[in-house]
Amino acid sequence: MNLTELLDTTAARWPKKVALIEESTVVSYAELAQRTLALAAKLQSLGITRGGRIGLAFPNGVGYVALTFALWRVNAVVVPIPMECTEAEIAELAAAMQLEGTLRQKPRGVCMAVAGDCFLTQLAPPSPPDNHGLNLAFIRFTSGTTSARKGVALGHETIRDRVLSANQAFRIGSDDTVIWCLPMAHHFLITIVLYLGAGATIVLARHVLARPFLEAINHWRGTVLYAAPFHFAMLARDNSGATVPSVRLAVSTTCALPAEVAEEFYQHYKIPLVQGLGVIEFGLVSLNTDDPRGRWNSVGRPAGGFRIQINDPDADGCGEVAVTGPGIFDAYVAPWIPREALLCGGWFPTGDIGRLDAEGFLFLLARKTAVINLAGRKVFPEEIEAVINRHPAVRESRVYGKPHAHLGEVVEVEIVLASPDANLDSVRAFCRDHLASYKIPTRFTVVSALPRTAVTGKIRRAAVVA
Amino acid sequence: MIETQEIETKLLDFLKREVFAPEVLVTSETDLVAAGFDSMSLVRLLLFIETDYGFWIPESEITGDALRNIRALASTIARLINER
Repeated sequence: MNLTELLDTTAARWPKKVALIEESTVVSYAELAQRTLALAAKLQSLGITRGGRIGLAFPNGVGYVALTFALWRVNAVVVPIPMECTEAEIAELAAAMQLEGTLRQKPRGVCMAVAGDCFLTQLAPPSPPDNHGLNLAFIRFTSGTTSARKGVALGHETIRDRVLSANQAFRIGSDDTVIWCLPMAHHFLITIVLYLGAGATIVLARHVLARPFLEAINHWRGTVLYAAPFHFAMLARDNSGATVPSVRLAVSTTCALPAEVAEEFYQHYKIPLVQGLGVIEFGLVSLNTDDPRGRWNSVGRPAGGFRIQINDPDADGCGEVAVTGPGIFDAYVAPWIPREALLCGGWFPTGDIGRLDAEGFLFLLARKTAVINLAGRKVFPEEIEAVINRHPAVRESRVYGKPHAHLGEVVEVEIVLASPDANLDSVRAFCRDHLASYKIPTRFTVVSALPRTAVTGKIRRAAVVA
Repeated sequence: MIETQEIETKLLDFLKREVFAPEVLVTSETDLVAAGFDSMSLVRLLLFIETDYGFWIPESEITGDALRNIRALASTIARLINER
């Protein structure tokens, strides 16, 4: 099975239907399929072969979509590289994921032109990647410490299964027009692939300020919104008087939806915002589509074929959320750990602490890990500490997420300086050179010592309440 | 009273240093969106203002007019601070 079959089936059924709109560019399904064929031929001629892992560092656009499907046509494995990554981060990602090349808008290093604005930089991984015989389509790189699991690998069949499962909840069809504003490097599978497989039209909104967004919704008669709480807050507080009568489904994603944003959005537009539990390892586990008013904080009941259980619940029914369902990831990449090795009696523990109410609605309460969620971008404290600790002015550091009313959490750091007269400005500048901008701590605080656990002496990391 | 000029200088320094790539020429009149200002840039800008001026710009004030350029943005921030 190959995911291009989803696109080709839609293109054969509705060749003239509009697949993508990007400003003045309107691309039909037939044109998109044709474009991916031409790009695939070019990629093949440049030596990209089955199983090769290729990093894709492209901004949102028709080009991003076409290149992803073109890579799939030649059975390459797509590894998205977020545009905000620094060169140092791209080099780390390329080495950890054993990339054979990257596709970028500008020429870098030893490279060959794929198209006018696309260049293939060839890389030479120390050893060829081993995909363990799997029909891999996609790897999401997740940074972390050297001991953390890096990279979530998904096969073509896995992605197809999770897309079909998710659409039992979304019910996207060929009559839908999705107004899109999130970065494709972070959101692509149960969104863009799902929409194209269903024959929907995707409008790429260039900017997400309330009024241009509202204008795009009404100009294109958008039926589906898929955005972050941050975007919905701006829409909810718009005072232009604009309404969005064409919208039938508005999904809040990336981080917990504040109840007041959901309530304000509902009061303004009479559309209930729904949120779900979407995780790269599993796809869409749950969606709160059953009249979420009154339980805005819930991520809903299980979606598609998913089941949810609470492991070792306490007296209040709270425990670790475990899930099972279609389209669970195939393996972690570095080190390679197949999913079967992580399943406990057929269930996969998520690391989230939660509870189910009497009607089966899931509420997330906290996380077992210290990962920080800044407006939907995952930030790993250990990764940032590793960079900061390399600076000669720093003896050690502790990065943590501070709850933030509008963004979920923000990144802050406590630093123990190597000497009292060390300069924090140079540490900030060092972060700017080595970290994507959203990972740079908002606040740097100098402390004399870091809190440590009594038993192991490790830096103490409190579980963060969502 | 806080002066718009003071805020403008601070914003220009922040955006040049932390949001835009070094090769992008940014002045007080630069069209921010055309220069590549995106939603993550907006998040970083809002956080910077919150950290330095102690308040979150209300969503109803985050408009195309306010984000037209740094001068317009500084003027919006000055008005909001002086209204407080």
